[in-house]
This record gives sequence, structure tokens and C-alpha cells, in this order.
Amino acid sequence: MFNQIDNLKCKLSLILVGVLLFSVAPVLNADELAVGDAIAIVVHKDLPVDNLTLEELRSIFLADRQFWENRTRITLLVRAPQSDERSFVLERIYQMSEAQFRQYWIAKMFRAEVPRGPKIVLSTGMALDLVVAIPGSISFTRADAVTDDVKVIRVDGLLPGDEGYVLK
Amino acid sequence: MNRPRHYRLTTFALLVAALGSAHAEDTEEVLSTSGLGHGDEAPEIIAMGFGDVGYISKDGSSEDGFAVGQIVAHINATMGDSFGVFGEFSMSARDSDYHTSVERLIVKYDFSDRYKLSAGRYHTPIGYWNSGFHHGAWLQTTVSRPEVFKFGSKIVPIHFVGALMEGLIPSGRLGLNYKVGLGNGRHSNIAAAGDSGDINSDKAWMVQINAKPVDYYGLNMGLGFYNDEIPLLNGTDVKENTVSAYAVWTKESPELLIEYLHSEHEQVNDSSVNGDVDSWYAQLAYRLSGKYHDWKPYVRFERTRVDDSDPLLGAEGLDYDGSILGVRWDFNSYAAIKAEYRNEEFDGGGRENNFRVQVSFALVRM
Repeated sequence: MFNQIDNLKCKLSLILVGVLLFSVAPVLNADELAVGDAIAIVVHKDLPVDNLTLEELRSIFLADRQFWENRTRITLLVRAPQSDERSFVLERIYQMSEAQFRQYWIAKMFRAEVPRGPKIVLSTGMALDLVVAIPGSISFTRADAVTDDVKVIRVDGLLPGDEGYVLK
Repeated sequence: MNRPRHYRLTTFALLVAALGSAHAEDTEEVLSTSGLGHGDEAPEIIAMGFGDVGYISKDGSSEDGFAVGQIVAHINATMGDSFGVFGEFSMSARDSDYHTSVERLIVKYDFSDRYKLSAGRYHTPIGYWNSGFHHGAWLQTTVSRPEVFKFGSKIVPIHFVGALMEGLIPSGRLGLNYKVGLGNGRHSNIAAAGDSGDINSDKAWMVQINAKPVDYYGLNMGLGFYNDEIPLLNGTDVKENTVSAYAVWTKESPELLIEYLHSEHEQVNDSSVNGDVDSWYAQLAYRLSGKYHDWKPYVRFERTRVDDSDPLLGAEGLDYDGSILGVRWDFNSYAAIKAEYRNEEFDGGGRENNFRVQVSFALVRM
């Protein structure tokens, strides 16, 4: 009898843990990209930039271009490894593997071509907070996570919701 | 023990709140440690290190064995948005001790993408390799540098002490960049730069233009010119003009590096005493795909010819032919093993074979 009660308690506990994990799962995986999701390029609100071509965006992300037209130093904010946004940007903008990306930036710093590598951000919230806090910063995030505190840049004249947007 | 429903909901709410506030702390940490966002000009210092250890086996040599390569330290300090200091220091193994050297020490001020002014000690921006890989064995695909760019080379002035202006040239899709430099030029010991001052009144100068066309992402092509007047120990002066050209495709499947250098040397007081140097190398590598992605086989061919009549280098015996076949295995994100077979001929002295293995690594977190 007591064994049956213990078994019942054990099963109920497992169910509760399962429900809790299921509830938290969407929070933990909030950054996961679904097929068709768009990546928005975001900058500080005061930056006088509204549109970049994909090539200009690439030259910024490669640090071949390091200043905005108003001579503010560009600060690149990149998501940490294993985030879906980072994988997307590595594939579509950098066209590099994770290892190539790492070697590229080490070489860039080693050649004294850049004062620092990209700042690594750990979450969408952190990326958006830093874009707000750092004039000249640029980052990328899931389009549906963008807040009013940052400016979304058009890429080749298109916004994330537009037909033909390239970072989708 | 039964937990009330509101207890579980509270636990869940606290968990969500903790996840939400974690990034605020991370954000504050980035801002406080980097000075970004509030105009702090205290130095933000990044340190890096490179090193390598190898094994060399030569035909008919009794000196086969392990070799410690260079141990290299880098300091990159940024002070504010535009000013920075960069240093590269090396320790190289000698027979019974280590030789330490300041390889590069550069102070730099970036006005904009078009104008970046710096001064100090550089690797001379002649061609691609010399200012592309520096002392980072891990960064280069092969075990060693091409012979013409080896450290201590007499053909190319490896170091340049002076000032450099560099930046982007507005050129649309061509992606042009420039570098213009003025410096002390070679020392009487022609493998060395004039570190502590110029030994004659004639400054060396150089200019380099390169293109990274946006339509051919990965392609980099460059042309350069270097001019100097070198006072030799025998009391004569020699004019040096070097033209360099390169084309590289930096994506790894394939990776292609081709460089050509042509130097003319002429005695200042007697133009009939002159000679040329021609040197080139071509290197092809290919990063494999799928489960073999960590492997990159490569080949390189090199050739250098120096006129016997060359007043600067003719008596140095610098003719060279070399072929290299090797493979690189990136067994770790920051370390690689390279195995290389080399067939070389130095100054017509007969072909020799050697085999090299190298473990190279980078000490930096990226």
C-alpha cells in the first residue's frame, strides 16, 4: 500500500517537473529561429543611417569599414556561438564557418587592423540594451524581438517584413 | 509534502524574472569593462599569444630533431574611439638561449576609414604575406613562410620603421585601399631595419594599392612599390626599387595565394653596376568538406633568381627553388598540426628533401 503511494507521488513529481520544464522551454529557446523568420539589423536610434546594401553591411561586419559617415566608430555586437541568429549571419553575411569566423577576427586583431574584435552578446535583450547604450553600435536580432528603443536598418531598401528581404 | 499551487507559480515567475534580468548584468559588465557607451578613454587591453613546436628531419643530416619555434606575445590597447597602441614581441630559440625582439610597435590614430595614421615599427607592407601573417604560425596554412619572406630575408626588407597612412579609397564596387609609408629604410646590415634612427639622409618610401571587389567576395589583389637607398659597409650606396604584385583568394575551398616581386639594385655612383631579383610563389590549399572539414591539404611552389651582378645581393647566394606538399589538421579551435614534405634547392647546390611537423596555437579567446 505504502509502495503504491510512493510510486504515485514519484509519478506526480515527474509530471510536475515535466510541466515546469515545458512552461520554461519557450523562454529558454526564445532565440530559436523558425523557417521564414527574418533577421533585423538594428542600430542606435540617433545614427543617421536608414539603409545599407548587403555589400555595405558585409564590409561593416567584416570591419573593412569601421566608421559611420558621421565619424562615429562602429561597434559590432555579435551573438555568442550556438545561437541561431549567429549561425544565420555567419552563413548569409560572413559566408564563413564558426572556425573561419574565429580565425578571421584573430587575424584582424593580430594585423592591428581593428582595435578590438566584435563584442559578444549573450541574448537578444543584451544585444538591444547595448545598441541603446553604445552610440555607433550595430547588431542583429530576430525581427519580432525588436523594440522601439532601436532603429531597424533597411537592407537593399527593404525591411524585415517586406517581400524579397534578403536576411530571411 | 504537498506544495500549494501558488508556490509553484511563484517559483516559475522567479525563474522567468531571473532569466530576464541576467542580461542586464551582462550588459553593465560589457559597458564597464570596455568604456563603450560613456566615452571612457582608459586603455582597454587585449593580450594574445602565438607559438609553435616542431620536428624537422633532413636528408643526410644528423641534426634531426625537435625545435621550439617562436613564442609571440601581442598587446592591443585602445584608448577611446580613435587612438590605440599595438605591440608584438617575440622569443626565438637559438643554440643555447632565446633571442627576444620587438617585432612591431605601432601607435595609431584613426581619423576615419579613409585616413588612418600610424608610426612605429611594422612588417613592411610589401606584397601580401609579410603584413598578412606576421609571426602567427597558426594563422598561416603552411609550416613556414615562403623563402623570400622568411624572417631575416635579405631580398625583402621585412621590417619598416617609420610612419604609415592608410585607408579606403572611394571606389564603389572595386573596394580599393591604400597604404603610403615613409621610413628609415634598411640598415647597413641589410636584413635589419634602422630601428634607432636612419643611417643616411635618404628615406625609404613605399606605396601599396589593393582591391577587394565587392562582387568577388574573398578576392584581394594588390600592387606595391618600395624605394630606398642603402649605404653599404664598403662605402658605396645602392638604390633599391621593388615592385610587388599579388592576388589571393582567401576562402578556404579553395585558398589561393600568388605573389611576385621584382627588385632592381643599382650602385649610386656607377649605374653600370646593377642587377635584378625576381621571386614568386604560388600556394594552393583546399579545406575539405563534411566530416573531413578539419583537414586542409596544400601545395606551394617557389622560385627566386638573383643576378650575379646585383651590387646588393649578387654575392649572397640567394637563388632558390622549392616545392612543398603538406596537410593541416585543425584538431582544436585554437590549435593545428601541420605535416609538410619539402623539396628544395639553395643556390644550385642540389636538391634536398626534408620533412617537418609543427603544432601551432593561438592563445586568445574569440
